[in-house]
Amino acid sequence: MPTPNSRTRADLIATLTEDIAPVQRIRPMRGGLSIGAATLVAGLISIVFFGFWTGMISGEASGYFWITNGLLAMLGGGSAAAVVASALPRVGQRSNAAIWGAAMIGVLPIAGLLSILSERGAQPVIWHWECSAYALAAGSLVAIAAVAFLRRGAPVSLEHAGWMTGVASGALGSLAYGITCPLDTASHTGIVHIAPVAVAALIGRVAVPPLIRW
Amino acid sequence: MLADEPTLARLMAATQAGDKSACNVLLSEVGMWLERYFNRRVPPHAIDDLVQDVLLAVYTKRATWDPSRPFLPWLAAIARYRWVDHLRKVYKHDSKELFEEDGIADSEEDVVMARVSLETLFGQLPETQASAIQLVKIDGLSIREASAQTGQSESMVKVNIHRGLKKLSAMVEKAD
Repeated sequence: MPTPNSRTRADLIATLTEDIAPVQRIRPMRGGLSIGAATLVAGLISIVFFGFWTGMISGEASGYFWITNGLLAMLGGGSAAAVVASALPRVGQRSNAAIWGAAMIGVLPIAGLLSILSERGAQPVIWHWECSAYALAAGSLVAIAAVAFLRRGAPVSLEHAGWMTGVASGALGSLAYGITCPLDTASHTGIVHIAPVAVAALIGRVAVPPLIRW
Repeated sequence: MLADEPTLARLMAATQAGDKSACNVLLSEVGMWLERYFNRRVPPHAIDDLVQDVLLAVYTKRATWDPSRPFLPWLAAIARYRWVDHLRKVYKHDSKELFEEDGIADSEEDVVMARVSLETLFGQLPETQASAIQLVKIDGLSIREASAQTGQSESMVKVNIHRGLKKLSAMVEKAD
């Protein structure tokens, strides 16, 4: 004989079944593409506002410029992949690529500080913290795309998804703005262009989980 | 007997395509699987609410299952997410609900097992935090009474409860 609980559950199942409709599967590729597109748009907007830095193609850009932006691209790609993966429920599989990427990029501020110490008195240190603000603004576009994808999915580890969204938006935002910035010293690229990653990670950890809870 | 992984995966693929009868069978089978899953994780009176909550989640989030991957890990991830959410709510609003017997418990063993798994979690907390949670959240003592009994100041009791519950939530969330 059915118990009240089994009766209620049967009613629920009957109601849900009645309304069933085909669904379009959520594909990780689509999440990756939308984050990639947001990065591209952020880059284009940066170029519109700040102009394309021709030093990149004329060979004027220093090694620091390429190393910093290359690592930002790697970290952004790895953490964006982690964001996309976290939108789909699964147990016991979590890539540490983004964590190792973040650790690697942590070398740059140290290199920047060392270069400040060694350059003291030789040339002024270029701070220009507005570069960090522009990078964060560019990263907000990436964050919007990431959160939109996470909301369509079913993230089961909200804190992890929050951290990864923050790291991805910070790294890709800094990359998108960074290609327009002609200040390519070790101190400027290593500190001012890396700081947005740490700031965005913290913002992501705090702000994203309430937005993607389901 | 519960349906096996290939059967559930086949039913889920049909459900994603909008097959009503497959959806009905799938949700019924998933309901039975979830009963077992939650049997040793929550008190008996809370199982059915949680099962229905997860059934709803399975239905609304069915587009997030990838047919090239196994179904049960996907289901387990959703079940665990809902379970952690349930624990958070219980800790936040009515800690007694998690620990007290139902009065009309279906199975004494279930209640004992639920307690045993909580004891295991408590075993991983520092003694000061475990005792503060035990006295205030389970035994129902006031902060002042717990303070007198443990020798901790009242503010330390509050801090230990807060930190202990936070650690418990983290432990449950990390457990695969």
